[in-house]
Amino acid sequence: MSEDLESQLRAALTPVAPRAEFTQRLIARVTADKGTEPNARGIRRRSPRATAWWLSASMAASLLIAVGVQHYRQERREAERGLEARREVIEALRMTSQKLNLAYEVIKDQSSLPAEDKPGV
Amino acid sequence: MPFAGNSLTLNEAPPGFSDEQLAKARAGDTAALASLIQAHQRSVYSLALRLLGSRELAEDLTQEVFMQLNGNLKSIASNTHLLFWLRKVTSNRAIDQLRRRSRIEMTPLDNEILFTSGADGSDPLLQRHLQQLLLELSPPARAVLLLRYQEDLDPVDIAQTLEMPINTVKSHLKRSLEILRQRTPDPERSRCEDKSI
Repeated sequence: MSEDLESQLRAALTPVAPRAEFTQRLIARVTADKGTEPNARGIRRRSPRATAWWLSASMAASLLIAVGVQHYRQERREAERGLEARREVIEALRMTSQKLNLAYEVIKDQSSLPAEDKPGV
Repeated sequence: MPFAGNSLTLNEAPPGFSDEQLAKARAGDTAALASLIQAHQRSVYSLALRLLGSRELAEDLTQEVFMQLNGNLKSIASNTHLLFWLRKVTSNRAIDQLRRRSRIEMTPLDNEILFTSGADGSDPLLQRHLQQLLLELSPPARAVLLLRYQEDLDPVDIAQTLEMPINTVKSHLKRSLEILRQRTPDPERSRCEDKSI
């Protein structure tokens, strides 16, 4: 049965020819497709026009990205400058407040002394 | 196992196409390229047809394979290499297509695929039955069986063509033949049953 099945399989799987019109169409298509044949990975090569389009599109995209990056960096620089200025203002206010406190303490101490102890009396 | 059929082995060039013609096709000779297509289209188309189960899909795949070959012709060193390349690309592309197809989608039973040779006194009904059973096997098992019995490759060549371990090829062959045997009526037994009626 095994050899019989195998010989039946071989008979059943005899190669069949495609339709004659398909063969003609295939030959015409493949021989005419010299310029746009697929490469080794099966990917079609682009026509020069498509290549030019892709080139200009990628250049435009690169330009946009560069402008975007520049804009972002400038914004960031300005934000950093703003933060630095804020820090400086806070520091100045803190120092002023310390000096005012000191002056207040001096005035308070002088006003609490007896009259003969006050300087200039 | 020797095979007296008309298919080609891995190391056999198809009749009517020589290495010189291949060199001409590589050099851009359109007539040589046409001869190459005529010499190999039968094998490529039959593989595609029996793997995909539809004439339209098989024609599309055959065209894609030859277009890809046209782009890779410079890398083809000999007729042996050409045969190997065609079988490999056809089988792999067909298996990929079958994997992409929805599991719900049924494989159409194209009339052309149920082609019966009627040669060697073989049973045409049994041939049709075997072809239908073949379409029910998994894509890799189907490819293994086709390369073995349609293209007459031995398991080592099948393993190289499908980039599959040799033991996987052997187990596919064994399991598929077992399935076919279980689901195929034994003509001897049928004859005995006929006589007993």
